[in-house]
Amino acid sequence: MSATSGGAVRVTGLRKAFASKRGRVEALCGVDLAVTAGQIYGFLGPNGAGKTTTLRILTTLLLADSGDAFVAGVDVRRHPAEVRRRIGYVGQLGGADREATGRENLILQGRLYGMNDAQTEHRAGELIELLELSALSQRIVRSYSGGQRRRLEVALGIMHRPEVLFLDEPTLGLDPQNRANLWAQLRGLRDAGTTIMLTTHYLDEADQLSDRLAIIDHGRVVAEGTPLELKQRYPAEVIITPKPGTAELGSLATNLECDPLVGGVHIDDGALRIQVPDPTTGLAAVIDRLRAGGVGVLRVSLQEPSLDDVFLHETGRSLRDAGDPAAAEAA
Amino acid sequence: MTLLLQTALLSRRRLLETLRQPIWVFMGLSVPLLYLALFAPLLTSLAGGPGFPAGGVLDVFVPGILALMAFGAGMGAGWIVIGELDTGVIERLRVTPASRLALVLGTVVRDVITFAVPAVIVVCVALPFGFHAHWGGVGLLVVLMALLTAACSAGSAALGITLQQIGSLAAVVTGLQLPLTLLSGVLLPLSLGPGWLQGVGHANPMYYAVEAARQLAAGTVATGTVALGFGVTTAAALLAIWWATRGYRRAMA
Repeated sequence: MSATSGGAVRVTGLRKAFASKRGRVEALCGVDLAVTAGQIYGFLGPNGAGKTTTLRILTTLLLADSGDAFVAGVDVRRHPAEVRRRIGYVGQLGGADREATGRENLILQGRLYGMNDAQTEHRAGELIELLELSALSQRIVRSYSGGQRRRLEVALGIMHRPEVLFLDEPTLGLDPQNRANLWAQLRGLRDAGTTIMLTTHYLDEADQLSDRLAIIDHGRVVAEGTPLELKQRYPAEVIITPKPGTAELGSLATNLECDPLVGGVHIDDGALRIQVPDPTTGLAAVIDRLRAGGVGVLRVSLQEPSLDDVFLHETGRSLRDAGDPAAAEAA
Repeated sequence: MTLLLQTALLSRRRLLETLRQPIWVFMGLSVPLLYLALFAPLLTSLAGGPGFPAGGVLDVFVPGILALMAFGAGMGAGWIVIGELDTGVIERLRVTPASRLALVLGTVVRDVITFAVPAVIVVCVALPFGFHAHWGGVGLLVVLMALLTAACSAGSAALGITLQQIGSLAAVVTGLQLPLTLLSGVLLPLSLGPGWLQGVGHANPMYYAVEAARQLAAGTVATGTVALGFGVTTAAALLAIWWATRGYRRAMA
């Protein structure tokens, strides 16, 4: 039913400012987004970029200053109660009741959504199995590990089978194994028809988990597309470390730059970083030139463009440094 | 209907929480009993003196203890609110269709119960020590004090959701505790004090509840003081519940 209104989430011209000690801070300066139903949509950006603010507006926790937001076809500003019935939300803090058992948490959640006793019991049992909580469901949540609690919190978010599930930094603080588990579970939910919108500041998470993503910085969407589309806008890099004494790096770089398949070359810590718009033909061309010149090669690697390159190109800083105050001051 | 169901669900959750921390149940009971055991004997020599009827020290003192218990049972709500802001529980509940009024009332109902159960026990314990219970009056007295608990509970929750910091909440609540309780005459009737002190007391909503409570304990029900006590306390409870609900409804950064 939401498909008729053109997507699971539609946002146009969203603006939000907060009053702070240093004056007015523009958290969102006109965000536009469209999420198609049935996708995992990633929202990538550094801390303070506006990801959480956007999510809080979409989940009725916060009112936008201006702009429109529709979730599952429903206007968030006009009909927040209707939106709440159709969405699930897993906040950064999680929000499980620490002093109750996992099962009690699920039952209360179901009942608050208006499910009856039998429906609630049945659904709780289903989710306890799906999210591998069987051994824990009768234990007080305070005793759960971080990964266990996160699984319960995801279960709480989907208890009432929402059309759209919002997750704010779902894997923050999880170890790699729990992270991989959660990714698999989110993909499973997507495959079962749930639209998922999640924020993250992890490049690999945005890259591997999202079907589509938006990159946000300083309250603006700076790039949008599938991870592959975004990365393909930028060249890959062949990184060559020549055997010491077999070639002079400077002249080698000049030589390589003449090749039509090579974009640019720079020297970095005894290695050549050679940009190649097409990695397959480019790598071959570079190797041919080196062989022709009799240059011995110690090490070769190919670095595909990453979402960080996209971020760097669009904002002039690396996502790894952005949002870190010390790095911002240094820059 | 939905409101009732949701309030029942949320107060049940709260009661489970309380029962899982028996130390609170124990302390909630032991403090008023200690007052009875350790403070009431100090008052016996005052019997028959100003403010105290002959042989009826407890008749004056038990309503005061009940008011203190009501205050104590309600004022913890703000701490829970801040704890739940920090763990994201309130945020999660605010994204569900749960009525915001039910979110407030869940805690209020629990606090009223955690007041009422020990209150009845304290009344029963006080009987053999010379408390003259007029049952109709005592029944109404517990109802009045339950309303006071509700006002304190919702007021504390509203303060918690507004201040959002444990430190600020603790400062405000401890700052309020002394003037609110002392100037309502919980320990000693305010009528013992000079005129100006009684005048200041009239600005304290809790004063009216305690005055009404003393009359109810004495078995006088149909008086203006009792009506005023119920009126002021009910108004305070409604105002506090409205304020707390508004806090839950409003967006928090």
